[in-house]
Formats: sequence, structure tokens, C-alpha cells
Amino acid sequence: MNEADYKELKKGGMMRQKEAGLFSVRLHVVGGRLATAQMRAIQEAADRFGRGSVHLTARQGVEIPFVPADFLAALKEFLMPSGVGVGVCGPTVRTVTACQGCRVCPSGVIDSPALADAVDREFYGKPVPHKFKVGISGCSNNCMKAEENDIGVKGVAEPRWTRDGCTFCGVCEAVCPTKVVGVSEGNGRVSVDFAGCIGCRDCIESCPTGAMAEGSRGYRLFAGGKFGRVPFLGKKILRVLRTGEEAIDAIGAAVEFFRAHGKPRERFGDTLQRTGFPALEAHIDERMGRKG
Amino acid sequence: MIPVLDITRDVCPMTFVKVKMGLTKVGPSGRLNVVLKEEALKNVISSLKTEGHKVTRVEKKEAVFLLEVEKGGGAA
Repeated sequence: MNEADYKELKKGGMMRQKEAGLFSVRLHVVGGRLATAQMRAIQEAADRFGRGSVHLTARQGVEIPFVPADFLAALKEFLMPSGVGVGVCGPTVRTVTACQGCRVCPSGVIDSPALADAVDREFYGKPVPHKFKVGISGCSNNCMKAEENDIGVKGVAEPRWTRDGCTFCGVCEAVCPTKVVGVSEGNGRVSVDFAGCIGCRDCIESCPTGAMAEGSRGYRLFAGGKFGRVPFLGKKILRVLRTGEEAIDAIGAAVEFFRAHGKPRERFGDTLQRTGFPALEAHIDERMGRKG
Repeated sequence: MIPVLDITRDVCPMTFVKVKMGLTKVGPSGRLNVVLKEEALKNVISSLKTEGHKVTRVEKKEAVFLLEVEKGGGAA
């Protein structure tokens, strides 16, 4: 192997294959989005340097398998003009996953690809005690499985009820999946217990009169999730954040907390089991307070 | 007499398909009563709203709901 290929190997993203001397080259993809020109470049690269196939990874990424060690640097150089970089491995912030978000999906509440790009720009490939995955779901349908990420995000839309036009028909109460809407015609009130509201919009979308309308949109964060050998679901943290900037700041503070408290090769969820989740929340609040 | 459409035995997407078909048979601003189960409420009402129709009355009858739907002007 020549010096250039050895250097590329050390940077990561070249996954050693079972067969000696062959690598599956992980590419840098954000939120599963690729321009068609990039796909053509990847196609050409897989033909030239691999064996004419690609692997779509579990986290919306692309790998080119069967690349001989001697081609690693050349493959990277070939892809460079298309803007497709080589991915990362090891104890770093990994591929950010995202759905298509509110610009495409009728259910979308937040612009997940935009947030994914911002998280990627700020944190991708940065060192942390162990691999650190961020996944962004545009709404509470949660296609991106926020809770299985070290930090997961969900777009949520909280309802606001006004008495005007309300016929107390009971549809909002009937459709609420977490049963936090209470209709009381006698008291002339419809209540929502926001502690249990998942921001799914079901009550808003099914209200015949519009008395139950959208109040505010926001970002709900989950921390400490993982899958793999010993799965653990991330837990809801913090209040609902109002802007993408706040979400980025909170994720940054979480990464900082992990660096300060995580042991080498310990996943974020295990760190949080030791420190407790309130310690993380206090740290994020403090950082965001200091900033804001 | 408002026609009644019972979709309690249907599942999505047939629930809304049948409501759509039912609405083609009533005149402009005509009405249709739909009997449906709770689990169909959200999809049927939100689809009706999206297509410009109006739910003018909701009544709960034991295990089912009755919706009175007013056909929207723009829809076929």
C-alpha cells in the first residue's frame, strides 16, 4: 500500500472487509439526500474502483464495497468534484439521519433536512468518547426513530383550543393517541395536558370547526438511545425547543456533556445512566442560558 | 332526507374512498351522513377538510360516530 492510501485509511471511513486488502468505503451522506449528479459519480466510482455495486446502509448512507487498498486515495479524489466525501467511523459524531421534513411531507412539522445539515456542519466527524448518532424526525410519526439515537429530535405541534366555534363534539378527545385531551361541555372547556401531549396534530387535523388549532411548533429532544447489542430507548429531555438554533445549541451542549463525562468506549446512554438525565438537562440549560 | 353511508366495516383507505364516492352522488352543497368507527375519525375528517368539505355535525352513538358532511363547492 502506498503512502497516500495509508493516510486515507488512518482518517477513517474505509471499512476493512473480511477478505484482506479490500475495503468498503463509507461515503458522507446527510439525511439520505444525494443529488443525481452525485449518484452518477458514485455509480461511476463503484464501477471503476469497486465491483459495480453499492450498499445502502442502515443509517441512510452509501458504501462502495470491494475497493482494493491501492485505490482508496484515487477513489476519494475521483468523488471530490461531485462534493461526495468519505464518511467517518470510530468514536466520532456519525451520519445524521433525517426524513424529508415539512418541505416535502404533508405530516412534517419541522425542516428536518435543514436541521440535519446544520448538525452535520457543526459536529460531523468530531471526536467524542464513543460513536454518537443524531436522528431527526420531522413529526411525531417518528419515521427516523428518534429514541434509538444518542440524540434524537422530533418536530412537534402543540394544539391551542379556543372556545369560539367549539361544539364540544368530542372528536379531539376520541382521536388523541395519548388521551390527554379532555372535553367537558358542562364546564365549557376543552383541556390539554401538555406534559403528555406528543404534538401529533391529530386533534387539530380532525377538529371539524377549527376550534382546536395549532398553537406552536417546536423541537422535542431525546437523549441516550441506542440499538445494537443492548438496545436502549432514549428519554425525552428538556422542554419543547422553539427554534432550530435552540436545537443546535442543545445538541452542542449534549456533545460537550458527553466529552466531559463519558468514558472511552461508553455510549452516551450509559454515561447518562451514571450521571442521571437531570445532570445533562441542567448542563444544557446552563449553556443555553449563558448564550441567550 | 340525507343519505347515510355506513363505513364501520371498512378500513383505510376504503373509508375515505367510499366517502368520496358518496359525496359524488349528492348535489352541490348537498349533505351526506357518514357512520364510522372511532379509529376512522381522524383520517376521514382530516381528508374531508383537506378536500374542502365541511363536517357540520358530530354525534356519538354508542360505539360509532355519525358525521354530517356538507359537500364543498370546489370538489367534484
